[in-house]
Amino acid sequence: METNYKNDIDAPLYKPIYETGKGFYVSVTILLAIVIWSAYMFFTQVAYGLGVTGMNQPVSWGFYIVNFVFFIGISHAGTLISAILRLSKAEWRRPITRMAEVITAIVLAIGGIHPIIDLGRPDRVLNVFTAGRLQSPLLWDVTSITAYFTASTVYLYLPMIPDIAKLRDKGGKLVWFYNFLSWGWHGSEKQRKTLNRAINILMVMVIPIAISVHTVISYIFSMTLQPGWHSTIFGPYFVVGAIFSGIAALLIVMIALRKVYHLENYLKEIHFKYLGTLLLIMSLLWFYFTFSEYLTGVFGNEPHEMDIIMYKFTGPYALFFWGMLVCNFIIPVVILSFKKFKKIPGILIASITVVIGMWLERLNIVVPSLANPRMNLPVGFYVPSLVEWSLFLGGIALFILGYILFSKFFPLISIWEIEEGREGVHEIKERIHSYMPDKNSD
Amino acid sequence: MKSKSKPTLSVDRSYFNRPVFIAQLVSLLLIWFLVIGIALWIKNLISLSLDFKDAPGVSIAISIVAVPIFFTLASVLTYVFIGLHKEEKKRFDNSGEMEQ
Amino acid sequence: MPKWTMVIDLNKCTGCGACMSACKMENNVAIVEPDEARDGRIMFWMDMLDEHEGEYPDIKAKWIPKPCFHCDSPPCTRVCPVHATYINEEGLVGQIYSRCIGCRYCMAACPYTAKVFNWYEPQWDDNFKKCFNPDVSVRMKGVVEKCSFCSHRLIVVKENAAEEDREIADGEYTTACAECCPANAISFGDIENRESEVFKLSKSTRAYKMMEDLGTEPKVIYLSYRE
Repeated sequence: METNYKNDIDAPLYKPIYETGKGFYVSVTILLAIVIWSAYMFFTQVAYGLGVTGMNQPVSWGFYIVNFVFFIGISHAGTLISAILRLSKAEWRRPITRMAEVITAIVLAIGGIHPIIDLGRPDRVLNVFTAGRLQSPLLWDVTSITAYFTASTVYLYLPMIPDIAKLRDKGGKLVWFYNFLSWGWHGSEKQRKTLNRAINILMVMVIPIAISVHTVISYIFSMTLQPGWHSTIFGPYFVVGAIFSGIAALLIVMIALRKVYHLENYLKEIHFKYLGTLLLIMSLLWFYFTFSEYLTGVFGNEPHEMDIIMYKFTGPYALFFWGMLVCNFIIPVVILSFKKFKKIPGILIASITVVIGMWLERLNIVVPSLANPRMNLPVGFYVPSLVEWSLFLGGIALFILGYILFSKFFPLISIWEIEEGREGVHEIKERIHSYMPDKNSD
Repeated sequence: MKSKSKPTLSVDRSYFNRPVFIAQLVSLLLIWFLVIGIALWIKNLISLSLDFKDAPGVSIAISIVAVPIFFTLASVLTYVFIGLHKEEKKRFDNSGEMEQ
Repeated sequence: MPKWTMVIDLNKCTGCGACMSACKMENNVAIVEPDEARDGRIMFWMDMLDEHEGEYPDIKAKWIPKPCFHCDSPPCTRVCPVHATYINEEGLVGQIYSRCIGCRYCMAACPYTAKVFNWYEPQWDDNFKKCFNPDVSVRMKGVVEKCSFCSHRLIVVKENAAEEDREIADGEYTTACAECCPANAISFGDIENRESEVFKLSKSTRAYKMMEDLGTEPKVIYLSYRE
């Protein structure tokens, strides 16, 4: 391809688009195989019925709902980093925003499919449109996830326009495609103003939408009468958990991409240090909410609630419950509190354990309340089947696949924002001066 | 540090490419269709809840919050589209060549 | 407007399970294979709770038939996303099988675990198919179902009453379980009708409802000397 991106100061950011190594083809093949396998498993479920899963009465919700909440939770990575950091003018967000926004877009799509996978009659999903009830928390979910998906896609797309224009100008591959998407951008003052205004509107809009998404997902549980679910803390608890798992997932993605695409110059120690601090704060916040939740339950000693709490503390789910506490609180706090451990390998371990721990938290919310029905009915059990494991793996594979494919067409780090940061040092200095008290003129 | 480098390739860069512009317009119209479709769907659900007397207040409250969000998103996209193209067309008309 | 209520006298109930079988036969409820049943997939519209207290030989056993309670403030209808479960003016909580999308939210929301799900396409032996009740639709896989207070019988009773231009008599519309209980432990009728048996029984000092404090207003009243 005749393009001289190599002379560009940001050449490493263009490299994945213009050069494709063997690793790409190998990973895409493997991931595609996993996705096709899980599609086949889903097909068997549609053909035979939900009986192929491990769900039963009373545990009528299992992996699909757990993964639904889990994937949508991870989508909060984009909003926190992109919108909140942009809003607070934190300059260190510049190399991170695009990666975060891409996570959100892909993971929302995957998470949004999960309730459909969970349906007994997915062929009737259009009944939601013809006969739906907006009174049902599930429909609140449909509305808010659609709103968030649309908003975050627009919020991903708009800041991509200047970069797409750069790719169009490089004149390598797919010029017509970049021309189509760049909407005639060429960086003039008026265009910049328009775009910045639009991004500002979006960045303020996207934050309440994102908070509403996970709050509304928590309402699916908290609007029922079931012990362990009917808790007023669920709204904020889920949002905090989502941001927590979102940051951890973002860190994993950043570390992986930094290794694979040699972005060491762009994703430096300091970015990980700052995000690591945020992860630590979220871990403490998450623990605060969890502690409140269980202290309230244990202190009240209401019999049905205690059944569920003991099921988690000492019963069949003890491993998952205490494992969750270790993964979400003990390991991250230990690693992230000490400078010695708070390097990239340590942060990677902390992030992986947080992602696992947050998945366990979703499991601990969904299954124990269902497995302990009232009225002295026998305690239920849940063993996920091959179909459910395959679809779980398929969801993860689809996410990684989507990400890799994105990196082939668009830069993973916002090139124009890096340029803006490089060139805007003077303005930033002025801004910081304006925070300090004014000097006396004489 | 060097200022940003502009590549100087001789690639045909006629920014105002008619078919591409029409494709962009069509995609924007599709987005409006989607948004209007969502509004119609929610209106359908509201009328259903009125028929069944099934707490219509909830449906109306949700629609008051949700529908404007979609319309705002579509409007922002339209604003950016018009803003970018207006400026671009003006420049293309002023001089057929590229300039900084 | 009638309000259909069931009264179950636990002091008469022997736990024989005739109500459970009658219900399955009457409503074409699917028969589930033994290993599936063991895995929690069994389908009982009328379930039987058994509670045992004490050690042998001083065991106190309680047998509690549990149909759907047809709550007046049903938690299940509130959460259904497609109007597939609903409560009608006569207090019957219905299920529209052809609209249900199988999300199982109502199953998760019911505090009494009254609903069951068709995890597979229901299968019947050819001989059993001869015993199908023609008044009740056969469900397909992937939908939720539950006790309907044999509302198909109500339709027939209403048609007869309309033809003969008269009111429905007390006891004319009754459920399969009430009809076949050998101990006459289950009574069914209209609690708005002050002459009805259920009304009189509901005034008993032994009367109580399950988990009333949840605010579900169940319409199945249990009579028992002890809780």
